[in-house]
Amino acid sequence: MLTEQSVIIQGTKRSQQKAATRETILRSARSLYAERGIAATRSAAVAQAAGLAHGTLFLHFPRQEELLVAVIEDFGEGLCRRLHELSAGGRGLRACLEAHLAGLREVEGFYAALLTEAGHLPEAARLSLLMVQSTLSWHIAAAAEAGMEAGTIRRQPVHLLFNTWIGLVHHYLANRELFAPGALVLERRGGELVEHYLGLVSTGDRIEGG
Amino acid sequence: MKLCVACGMPMEGDGDFPLGDRSKDYCVHCARPDGSMQSYEEKAQSLAAFVARSQGLDPGQARKAAEAMMGRLPAWKAAR
Ligand SMILES: [Zn+2]
Repeated sequence: MLTEQSVIIQGTKRSQQKAATRETILRSARSLYAERGIAATRSAAVAQAAGLAHGTLFLHFPRQEELLVAVIEDFGEGLCRRLHELSAGGRGLRACLEAHLAGLREVEGFYAALLTEAGHLPEAARLSLLMVQSTLSWHIAAAAEAGMEAGTIRRQPVHLLFNTWIGLVHHYLANRELFAPGALVLERRGGELVEHYLGLVSTGDRIEGG
Repeated sequence: MKLCVACGMPMEGDGDFPLGDRSKDYCVHCARPDGSMQSYEEKAQSLAAFVARSQGLDPGQARKAAEAMMGRLPAWKAAR
């Protein structure tokens, strides 16, 4: 019998199922982007990897561009959550950098493909990436400025402090086959990058701690 | 968790809300000193200035980025 409650429960189940399907699509797309490259990944291949009919994929993401944007935003939301949790505790620059690397490690192959292909991707995708960078820069700037006030971080323009970190990380990611063939480069070299970078920007009074 | 309708920031602690008012849908960074929400132009300018300052982008590009970000947020979807 369809009581009002059972209708609500069925509605909830349907939307849970929809969210689970979306999750599966995002995961499949992300791993194909990492394996084959972003531009080379066709939506039919994503549907097949997700075990869905092409039409089902189309219902969720009518255009390939929307799927790519969703994958970038999904990564950005996860990173944003990590950073926000840290900043609420005022854990400093080291914690921000480590959270950034932890977020990237989960999607390393995809992110490396994103970097390599960024110049040729649709504008919506490039803007999504810029939004992720802006969130990150907000947290790094806040942590760095607090460190400058406390005398642990050397005073310097925030954009150069931020870009120096991004430049370092992106270089290792873009050339990950040279730095860690067949392995996750941030897993292998991430700790070294954090230590080196903190050494560069710190006053030396005290290494910025967690 | 509540997300600011005007900038997307997660809002948890009282300090994330304008004047500590948890009933608001926008965050402390999107509020004027009196607690009301900033206008589209005010937010676009402050966001562009932030993007330029924190990432070193060219001012024109920073403004474009700010408008694109705002275009995806509930408070501004209609404003574009
Ligand atoms: Zn806000």
